[in-house]
Amino acid sequence: MGTRSTGNTFIDFLRGRLQTAGTLAFAIFLAFAVGAVIIAASGDSPIVAYGAMFQGAFGGVSKTASTLAKATPLIMTGLSVAVAFNAGIWNIGSEGQLFLGGFAAAWVGFTVKGLPSPIHILLCLAAAVLVGAFWAFIPGLLRVKGNTNEVVTTIMANHVATLFTAYLVNYPFKVPGSARGATVYIEKTAELLRPIPFSRFSLGFFIAVGLVVLVYHLMTRTTLGYEWKMVGLNPEFSRYGGISPERAMLSAMLVSGALAATAGAVEVMGVHQRFIDNISPGYGFDGILIALIAGNNPIGVFLVAVLFGALRTGAIGMEQATTIPSELSSVIQSLIILAVAAQVGFNVLLGRMRMRRRRATC
Amino acid sequence: MLGNFLSLALVRASIRMATPLTLAALGGTVTMQAGILNIALEGMMLAAAFFAVAASHFFANAWLGLLAGVVAATLIGLLYAFFVVDLKGDTFVIGIALNIFAAGGTVYLLRSMFGVKGAFVSDRIRTLPDISIGLANVSGPIAEVLDGYSILTYVSWALVLAFSILFYRTAFGLRLRAAGEHPVALETVGVSTRRMRYLAYLGSGILCGLGGAHLSLGYLNQFAENMVAGRGFIALAATIFGQGRPLPVFLACVLFGAADSVAIRFQSLGIPPQFALMTPYVVTTLALWLVSRPRAPRVKEATAHMSTKEADAA
Repeated sequence: MGTRSTGNTFIDFLRGRLQTAGTLAFAIFLAFAVGAVIIAASGDSPIVAYGAMFQGAFGGVSKTASTLAKATPLIMTGLSVAVAFNAGIWNIGSEGQLFLGGFAAAWVGFTVKGLPSPIHILLCLAAAVLVGAFWAFIPGLLRVKGNTNEVVTTIMANHVATLFTAYLVNYPFKVPGSARGATVYIEKTAELLRPIPFSRFSLGFFIAVGLVVLVYHLMTRTTLGYEWKMVGLNPEFSRYGGISPERAMLSAMLVSGALAATAGAVEVMGVHQRFIDNISPGYGFDGILIALIAGNNPIGVFLVAVLFGALRTGAIGMEQATTIPSELSSVIQSLIILAVAAQVGFNVLLGRMRMRRRRATC
Repeated sequence: MLGNFLSLALVRASIRMATPLTLAALGGTVTMQAGILNIALEGMMLAAAFFAVAASHFFANAWLGLLAGVVAATLIGLLYAFFVVDLKGDTFVIGIALNIFAAGGTVYLLRSMFGVKGAFVSDRIRTLPDISIGLANVSGPIAEVLDGYSILTYVSWALVLAFSILFYRTAFGLRLRAAGEHPVALETVGVSTRRMRYLAYLGSGILCGLGGAHLSLGYLNQFAENMVAGRGFIALAATIFGQGRPLPVFLACVLFGAADSVAIRFQSLGIPPQFALMTPYVVTTLALWLVSRPRAPRVKEATAHMSTKEADAA
């Protein structure tokens, strides 16, 4: 930002990365510091609480596995949001795409029978991807063809999707006698393997990691990714460069919906083995925070998602060791994003003040 | 006879349901007039609902509860304003962060202050009174439909009227709208856009505070985790549906309140309530799609020209 170019692109690049990482590290530090004040105000020792949190998140194989299991859907919703935001289209609808994708995967999971496991899993994922992409395509099309604000339509689409799946699991697909709205269990062939006993950690984590690599490749090494970036930076300018902003936005929306839907499918196939009412406690919205904190960078998304996963499993450990409620984790998460916004904002404010002073002295 | 009774009950339920929506949607309207889409209606209402119950419990007084709720929502509104207006943060991002902050924060406080999970009930909580507006002597359907709601229901009706006048009949309203439509013109005539936007967030906070407090003290008499349950987003939908004009926004709220009470009736009859619950979102999406025009730069220029004129008139 303020630093001068050294003339060496590689050093400039590294410096830029370090600055971003520094901003981020400071924001995270700030959020935890405010969290410490809250803990102290509640009458506990921040050191003890955070120690218990770290133990809860990374103390041993099964706890680390839980952290990664919690991070799994967040990585995918984070990627979903990052792809859309990067292309300048505000997909707030990952939550709804996740719900519909999850249901589609579950439906294929319990309806189709007698397939070899890998094919069955792929079929479930394909169904989720199609449904999720379709659900994202509608607001995308409304935006591109009708100039309808996609923030609003995707928020509305979230509610329609969650209500629709609530209808499905409570009425036509309800298992008689079960208290909670849920479908029947999926076939064994559609389940994702859980290698660690008593842990929700499944092969889904590796699907998420694979998607990080895929999205990174798409964004940085392909024409499509270049078009997304250009359209995100300036749609009118990219039009002069021969890119169709409409097509780029729509394709970003399709990929974004597919990624969110995969998160839902993996929750069904790896965690619950069926679709349940309210399957996501807001993974789509967390994905928005994650993508923004990570600056829409896929590798950043992975790291921040793991941090969020650690915060959640850690908070449960903390709740058992101290009197601090586990909701501290969502407070800290929202504080991180506010701290990032505040830093960017303070730089702008300081810049403006300096300008004013310079103008005054001239 | 029974059918008649049911329909009256349904109308009354719809009006009751519409009250928190109307109050919050007016909050969304104030910011929309200033050109800001307020995503944090939900979070503001939730914070207000919690602090209203907490204060009502501590002081055994509904009015202090109402005040605490309004103050809490207003503080979130001012925080929102600081981040968006001064620190140039993105409205959606900050709004979503504040919603998550309010959801996590209220549950955190619920557990650490009262040591309960789920819902907090206490016999010290005082509710806001239902009042009669003097129609008791008038018999007939009008009195049956309009009399005897919570005081905030009547406040919300009065506010719809007050804001219609404020936006379109006062210099203040003109300035507020100019802050949204043409901030440069507003600055040219010597009015601070920043100040107008801060006031918009302040007003939004107060109104959402009333709406949230009405949820917890108006008829439920408790605080439950995530008790706003999407009403902030329905209010947002109503704001968008009514395009930020108080009267259409109010009508949308009554319609959406009716959808809500019909859904509850459906559920008790064994009919899936989800499709009735969906209507606000579907209707709003369709309406928004119908009013938003395809990309046409000329239209933009024309409106820009118009608002310059209006600002000049101020």
